[in-house]
Formats: sequence, structure tokens, C-alpha cells
Amino acid sequence: MMQDLLHSEPGLLNFGIVFAGAVLLLFVILGFVTYGILAERKVLGFMQSRHGPNQVGGPWGLLQTVADVLKLLLKEDTIPKLADRPIYIIAPVIAFAPSFMVMAVVPLTDKLQFADVGVGLLYYIAVTGLTTIGMLMGGWASNNKFALLGGMRAAAQMISYEIPLVMSVVGIVLLTGSMNLNDIVAAQENLWYIIMQPIAFIVFFIAATAELNRVPFDLAEAENELIAGFHVEYSGFRWAMFMLAEYVYMFAMASLITVLFLGGWLPLFSFLDFIPGAVWFALKFSAVIWVLIWFRATFPRMRPDQLMEMCWKVLLPIAIANIFLTAIVKEILNLF
Amino acid sequence: MLRTEEMLLNVGPQHPSTHGVFRLVLKIDGEIIKEAKPVIGYLHRGTEKLAEDLQYTQIIPYTDRMDYVSAMTNNYVICHAVETMMDIKVPERAEYLRVLAMELGRYCSHMLWWGTFLLDFGATTPLLYAFREREMALNLLNELSGARITFNYMRVGGVKWDAPEGWIEKVKEFVPYAREQLKGYSEFASGNEIFQSRMKGIGKFSKEDALNYSISGPSLRSTGVKWDLRKNEPYSIYDRFDFDIVTQEAGDVWSRYLVRLGEVEQSLRIIEQACEQFPSEGDIMAKVPKIIKPPKGEAFVRIESPRGEIGCYIASEGKKEPYRLKFRRPSFYNLQILPKLLEGESISNLIAILGAVDIILGEVDG
Amino acid sequence: MLGLAKGLKYTLKQLTKEKPTYEYPKEPLPLPDRFRGIQKFYPEKCIVCNQCANICPTDCIQLTGKKHPDPTKKGKIIDTYDINFEICILCDLCTEVCPTEAIIMTNNFELADYSRDMLFKNLEWLDENDENVRKVNKP
Repeated sequence: MMQDLLHSEPGLLNFGIVFAGAVLLLFVILGFVTYGILAERKVLGFMQSRHGPNQVGGPWGLLQTVADVLKLLLKEDTIPKLADRPIYIIAPVIAFAPSFMVMAVVPLTDKLQFADVGVGLLYYIAVTGLTTIGMLMGGWASNNKFALLGGMRAAAQMISYEIPLVMSVVGIVLLTGSMNLNDIVAAQENLWYIIMQPIAFIVFFIAATAELNRVPFDLAEAENELIAGFHVEYSGFRWAMFMLAEYVYMFAMASLITVLFLGGWLPLFSFLDFIPGAVWFALKFSAVIWVLIWFRATFPRMRPDQLMEMCWKVLLPIAIANIFLTAIVKEILNLF
Repeated sequence: MLRTEEMLLNVGPQHPSTHGVFRLVLKIDGEIIKEAKPVIGYLHRGTEKLAEDLQYTQIIPYTDRMDYVSAMTNNYVICHAVETMMDIKVPERAEYLRVLAMELGRYCSHMLWWGTFLLDFGATTPLLYAFREREMALNLLNELSGARITFNYMRVGGVKWDAPEGWIEKVKEFVPYAREQLKGYSEFASGNEIFQSRMKGIGKFSKEDALNYSISGPSLRSTGVKWDLRKNEPYSIYDRFDFDIVTQEAGDVWSRYLVRLGEVEQSLRIIEQACEQFPSEGDIMAKVPKIIKPPKGEAFVRIESPRGEIGCYIASEGKKEPYRLKFRRPSFYNLQILPKLLEGESISNLIAILGAVDIILGEVDG
Repeated sequence: MLGLAKGLKYTLKQLTKEKPTYEYPKEPLPLPDRFRGIQKFYPEKCIVCNQCANICPTDCIQLTGKKHPDPTKKGKIIDTYDINFEICILCDLCTEVCPTEAIIMTNNFELADYSRDMLFKNLEWLDENDENVRKVNKP
């Protein structure tokens, strides 16, 4: 349906439908973020032998995040006196917008997708890189040394981790013969790529965690070293935009991992296909999110130089070796 | 021409990783520290000067607030100093209670250090585990002394309270539990490669440096010096217990970590033995005059606090207040090597090095 | 990598363990009898010997006495008795020296208030503070 709309005549009605769809998706994602944060806090709490939020909205704290967001809305919006005002104001928007833009190409089920772009994977990885600019701008414009260091770390980390991230999925692209995410899911009909490409999965997962700025790679906002990194001067809703970007990325990245490696909406076994694809997708997606939270509860932060070393000296060679291996195996298979 | 600019970075006094109000003025080039200048004194309350107007019993609650993480050792050092001057023999039961309290305090202190130190690396979970166990030990001390942090438990000539009924049994039960948890910790954190890679080879100093900077406690033992006042100059009844001095050779942050965890183990051993040897009855207070007036003269005693050697010097004119009181506060001395250690390190390592010193700002600033 | 896996296993095991935390303000904190909280004062027991004010390390106790209204009896009775909880460190020394146990500790410790002036507690307030009074006062 969306595909037809995109190909139809430009007009006010079609624009309105697309816009309404986007708003709907935004609300779905906001709903996820609300309960994703709650789930994170709850699981973290349970792992740390405490209860987590349990006051607002019943014993499960169901309204905790809502209350937090309301609080953030009411907070004073501070802008440092010597900050670079225009950049300071626009930085959170630049950080947030790409995180939502990437959701356009991620297929949630075979029907639920906004744009079936031929180079979907490339588009995703290219657009995520833009967020760093927002972080760097925020760090620079805050006129705070800690923020500057945080912004620089974010930029360095992003540049380094984009490369193994791309390299690790080249194997999948080779096997599928397409960068279209729908085609990639379809190619996993028989066997998921997590089994066919385990090395790529590990590299991709590590690089994705680094991209998401999550523990153990949350250097850019290391609260114990740089207090909060690039968003140390932000408050209220501007700060919330940064946080929102982070969690929307978590949503997007978990979706991407599901699509690339876990067979998207395809069922675990073919006899289980009476369960709708959306449920399968949600299950796999939640598993990825859960692992991310689990990591956060267990691991400490890495040091920037170790992080760089691991990226350039370990992940990148492994990813390239994986490409070679995949290419060779594919050629050998083609011979028969 | 390509040029990088050095900038000044103020770490603290309000910074989550300085463990209090400690300020570091760093000259950094990128993330590399060129020069570090510690600024202390934000928590200075003048305990030593205040003590000149206080009776000896009144000084004891003030010492609680110096090293507020292990107040029992501070209590002990002032009482011990006055007892040395007045030649008071402390009853056996009181000595056992003191040792039990001090070792539980050491356990609490090292647990707090373990939690906060790993928290500095961005791992929030160990802190909560450490506090869970520390809370149990604090509850035991609370039952004994009536407070959780500022115990004010010891008196010149003994202790204020006898052990409540069933307390020794509770401590006995606590020891195996704490041991079990400690094993879990080494499984959870010590084996973790990320932790290790962040600690190994960082903040190294040699044996000579440690001695020249008069570093004491776990920091000294991490360089391989077998020096623990509980063994080398036994005070109280420490000569009756069988325990080891934990040492490591490397002198880096990792070895300090191992020494502290090893000391927790040894503390538990001492607690276990003290519980077994605990006399079933006896006085908890020696015969002490109501108003304590040490004879004219001076005394210096030193004991092993969780952070190092804590010393107390008293000069008395035979009045009920001391003429001069001076504490050798181990955190303050251990901190002095910091500028040397920080030179050329990155900001991430700064957190590790500072955390491994285990400073308590109440003690540094006096 | 093995260490990382062990760490993950350890946190996973904690997930289902019983939690030691509880809802504090709804459930009171269990405290031992010896706990040193806000003092309770018995005006009728006080003999105005001034020992508590003298031993107080932070000088937070102020008291005045007056002559006994019954002229046949000797001694003084308490007139005003104030403790400044801004500076009181709850060190227990005042109760330790009191010869008649006129001032004793309770288990109440919640002193938070809206104004600093509220922390200045007088004789009536300390007299009414009669919940969770400590049972054993002298060792």
C-alpha cells in the first residue's frame, strides 16, 4: 500500500496519508521508547537486586516514564550564556531526526514497511552517521570542556565503528545479492543469517552496541569521567531529544539486527507460521533489546583507546576476513 | 602548521568520580593529562584545632567524622592513644568487641570501595551488590553501637556497650555468607576482561616511590612491601589471630584491587576467630576516672586503618583537654603521589587511579 | 571472553533472587533498641545538673533551671530545655552522663523539615517525643 502511495501522483491527499502514517509510526516508536525505558529500568533493577520503578502507575511503575517526560517538559530550558545559540538549539533536532528517518526503510513485517528502497541497508547506515554531527554540534556549542570532550569521543567512536559495521554486513549482501531489506529477509527462508554468518553477527552486534552508545561503549556520555559528555549543558526537552534519539536508535538497531540476522518476521520453524509475522518480529526484537539491557547490567565501560584498538585491529580485520571467506564459500558452492 | 592547544580542565569539586569534594586542576592536551594539580581542603573542619577545646570523651564523636567510612578505627586510635598515656589496661572482652567492630568496619569500608571503584568504570551493578552486603554488616554494627556510620562506640578504657544478646551468633552467621558473596564477586567482576584491561598496568609506582611518598595500607602492600601494623606492631589483641598480610608485586591499580579484596577475606578470618575466642563474660570497661586527665607528656600511636596507617599524637599538659592533637590521616598521605601518577595518563585512567587510592575526603581534609 | 560470560551468568542468576529492598516510608525501618535517634526528655526527672550541656561536643543543648516551687524542697527544677538539631550529632553523650536518665534516646530519626527554625526543639516538644523510646539506657 505504502509502495503504491509513494509511486502515485504528488497531491495534498497523498501527502496527508503519508504524513499521518509517519505520525502513527512516531507514536508507535514513542510508545516503545516509553516502555523500553521502563523495561530497561525494571530489568536493571532486578539484576541489581532491587525493584526498579514501582510507585507511579501501580507496582510495575507503568506510568513512570510518562511522569518523567512530563517532568522534563516542565523543566527550565537552560542555555549557557556563552553557548553558540543557534547551533546549541538545533543540535538535538539534528541528533534526533536521522534516528526516525532510518525507520522508514526497516520492514517490520512483509506488509508493514514505509519505503521499500533498493539500497535500504546502505540508506540505513548512511543516515545513522548524521546523528554524530548533532552530538558533535551539541558538544561544541555548549561551550563546556566536558561536553567538547564527549562530542569528540562520540565523533571518533562513530567514525571507527561505522566501518566494521558496514564490512560485517557485506557478507550478507554477498549471499543475498541485494541490499534490499525485504530481499534479505526473504533469503533467510531456510536458514537465518545468524547461523550462516556467525562471525558477521558478532562483529555487527559489537559495532552496533558501539553505535548505540550503550554500555560497554558509552564513552561519549561517560557519566563518571565526563559527567554526561556532550549533553552535559542540556536540560529539559532538549536533553530529552538526545535521550529519545538514543532509544529510537535502539529500536531501529534492534529491528535491523532482527531483519539482518534473525530472519525478520519469518517464524522459527515453518510449521509455526500460523502465528502472525508481527508477533515473531516482536519476539526476536525483544530478545535483542533484552541482551542489550543485560549487557548494561553486567559490563563496565571500555577505555577510548582500547575501543579504537579493538575496532581497527580486531573487528575490521575479522570483518574483512569474513567477506573473503563468504566470497570463497559462495564461489565454491556455485561450482556445483 | 598543525597545532594542538592545551586547556585547563577543572575536575571537581563537584564531580561524580572524586568521591567527595576533591578538586583536580588538569592541564590536558586532548585527553592526555600534561599536569595535574590537586586542590584539597573543601571539607576541612579543623578537627584537630577543635579538639584542643574538648574533653577526651568529646573528641571521640569528632573522629567518627574524619574517615566516615570506617569510623571504628578512628575511635580506636584516639582511645588507644589516651590509654597509652594513662597506662590503662583494657579488659579482654572489650578488646574482642573492639577488634570485631574494627574488622566489620574494615569489611564495610572495603566493600564500599569495591562498589564505588567499579562504579567509576561505568558498571552500576557492583555498587548495589556491595551495598547489599555492607548493609548487613552495618546493621550488625548498628545493633552493637546504635548508629550505622558514626558509631561513637569506643571509650577510653573500653567500649560503651556490651554485645547484645545473640549478636556474636549473628556475626558468626554473617561470615560464611559474606565469603560466599565474595566468591561471587570475583566471578562477576574480577574475571571480567574489560575490568582487567582497564586496571592492569595503570597507575604503577615502585616500592621505593611508595616508601618515599610514605604511602601506607593496601597501596603500599600492592608494591610488595609486607607491612601491616596488625602483624608488625601488634596492637590490641591482633597477635592472637592467624591471618596473612596480602601483598602483590606489580604496584598497579589491579594489584591494589586484589590486595583489597584479599584483605576482606582476611578480615572475615579475623572476625571468625574473634567470635570463637570471644570470652563468655567479663568487664567491658576498665577502671577509669570520670574526668580523664592524662599525665603531662605526649604519646603517638599508630594502627592499621582500611586506608593505611592512621596515627594519633597527643600532647597533654595534664588538663582534661589535650594541648595539641594531631592525626596522621592515611588518605592525605596516600594522595600525595597523585600528580606524579597522573602525568601522561588519559582522563579515563585518571578515574581508575584516583579510585584505587581510596581516598575519603573527610580524612584528607581533616 | 570467558570472564564476560561468567559475569553475564552471575547477573542473570541475580534476576530471580529475592530483593533485599522494601518500600521504606510505607514500611518502617527496623531499628535495634540501641539506635540513637532524637532525644526524649523527662522534665520531672531533671535535676538541672548541667552535665548534659557540658559534655555536649557541639554545644547544642541550652537549659535553664528555676527554684523549686515547693519551698520545703531543695534543688532546682527545669525551666527551659532546648536542643538545636541543626548541630546535634546524636552522639549519645548527653544520655550517658545524665544521672537520672532524664534525657534518653528514641528510635525516631526523621528530622526533615521545611525550615531551619523547626529544628530548634524545646522542652515541650522533647517531652512529647515519647514514641519508640529506648528501653536500655545504661550499659
